[in-house]
Amino acid sequence: MASISLKRLNKTYGTLTVVHDIDLEIADKEFIILVGPSGCGKSTTLRMIAGLEEISGGELRIGGDLVNEVPSKDRDIAMVFQNYALYPHMTVYKNMAFGLELRRAPRDHIDAQVKAAADVLDITHLLNRKPKALSGGQRQRVALGRAMVRNPAVFLLDEPLSNLDAKLRGSMRSEISKLHKRLSATFVYVTHDQVEAMTMADRIVVMRDGHIQQVDTPQNLYDRPVNLFVAGFIGAPQMNVLPAVIANRGDGFAAVFDGRELPLPGHYDKARIAPYADREVMLGLRPESLHELPPADVDQQHLAPFTATVDLVEPMGSEIHLNMTAGGQSLIARVSPRFKPAIGQDVRLTADMSNAQLFDRETERSILY
Amino acid sequence: MQWLRDSWMKEGRGISKDAPKKQGIALFAEILLREWWEMVKLNLLFVLASLPLVTIPASLAAMASISVALVEDRNIYLARDFLAAFRRHLAAATVVGVVLGGTIALGAYAVVSYAAFANEDLMFAAPLAITLGATAFLCIFACHFLVLMVMRDLSYLQLVRLAALASLARPMPAIGALGLVAVLWLVHILFYPLSVFMPATVNFSLGMFAVTFAVHRAANDVLALPRASRAGLDADPRGPARNI
Repeated sequence: MASISLKRLNKTYGTLTVVHDIDLEIADKEFIILVGPSGCGKSTTLRMIAGLEEISGGELRIGGDLVNEVPSKDRDIAMVFQNYALYPHMTVYKNMAFGLELRRAPRDHIDAQVKAAADVLDITHLLNRKPKALSGGQRQRVALGRAMVRNPAVFLLDEPLSNLDAKLRGSMRSEISKLHKRLSATFVYVTHDQVEAMTMADRIVVMRDGHIQQVDTPQNLYDRPVNLFVAGFIGAPQMNVLPAVIANRGDGFAAVFDGRELPLPGHYDKARIAPYADREVMLGLRPESLHELPPADVDQQHLAPFTATVDLVEPMGSEIHLNMTAGGQSLIARVSPRFKPAIGQDVRLTADMSNAQLFDRETERSILY
Repeated sequence: MQWLRDSWMKEGRGISKDAPKKQGIALFAEILLREWWEMVKLNLLFVLASLPLVTIPASLAAMASISVALVEDRNIYLARDFLAAFRRHLAAATVVGVVLGGTIALGAYAVVSYAAFANEDLMFAAPLAITLGATAFLCIFACHFLVLMVMRDLSYLQLVRLAALASLARPMPAIGALGLVAVLWLVHILFYPLSVFMPATVNFSLGMFAVTFAVHRAANDVLALPRASRAGLDADPRGPARNI
């Protein structure tokens, strides 16, 4: 069992608090990703779990045992660093075997473990080479292999793919996911790349300024962000946020933006929206919710015409990002590559409101969840 | 210190799994470039281990064992593996060293003697040629015997048979390697005192590596022969085959 429990965990440097009393429960064999902008405290949290940073306050439990004062080497964890941290004077084999040698493991056991890990990572042909000869991806595999040979209960990965090029990052992403399934260990992974987070995690922890903003599955984070920060951080291009006034329309509500009336879906909790009637809120619309043609698979009641002026057209190959202005606000739409409006042209789009988000203007918290 | 860090940390080109493996001299050069520092350390280990003189054969066997691992691209822990091989081959290598070393010395003495006689009487050219050929073959045989001995645990009789077979099947690479050894020592003598550190740094290990590299294929070939042609291998009293 390698569940991890963080209770009111905090980290201070003098008077500066970088992690504020965070609570987090990580289940055994879960793949959890800490994500957030630079300086949000995600790496510090990981390093506290690893035992590389002293815990200023709170409790850290691994497998139910309090490990605040337990040295890193006794926590049954393995860490993979962004810069690989391989010993340059050692061969790949020796790099991978080093941890086990320090623990005075039998040579046969070390050899078997190293060869098994190398086989899984497809680096058997590199075992007798030094890191200097290896590419970034190969180095990262070695770093992963070094973590694997110890057969730890918990893998901690600190932005392990940040130094790789985009293509390699994509392939390594899937390899790490496969590795997690194969090893059945708990993975705690830190990244600032939301694509990594969305594609690999069982659950994502979004952090900001040392606070946890939301912990949820990737899809829930995308569909049901609890505040404006999460809504803006998850999704690329990020969610369009427009000032709108809630208007009562019969037995439902509509968001009025710059004179455009956008109907809010009937399945939204009216009791939560009602207090905001005639008040200004922040309306969140994903770029893919703005269509060049009315989508056939969406209830007509959730659709509303939306006119905007095109400022920039960004062809992405499979889609086009339209940077537009409407009511003095900038917004982005993801549309088909066949739709090619000219810059400066007013385009009439259709807004799909079935997944629109509403946020309190002052607190920036979601009104809907 | 930035440049130093960069030179250590800079990413390499990567090593393709499917890249065709180099052969012959190119492979020799590749291993040499990759493992030169290990060879320098190996040479120092050999020199240290040979200081009591009677341990020279065991040190040679240990050095051959490490060289086989380098040729086979296996991972080594130099000091640990050298010592392990040294201990393992101490008795056998000493016996073999005395017998083969003594025989080669005798052959060399005969060659020198017959050469001196042949200088005065041409009749001695025939025994000179015979002893020269026999001694040269003995040297080639010794190279194969040593490498086979550290590659597999076989009885002396089996080793003699296989080494003789390998020496007859592929003598040229061994002759080339022995030529390189001779060149190394010649360079040391010619450029002395500039080359004063050569024996302490490269001469022994590079020479042994060259010999191992040269005879490795022949050794593998004879070890891969059908069991029927290697009578008694299964009944090897010294246990199963193993590396280092």
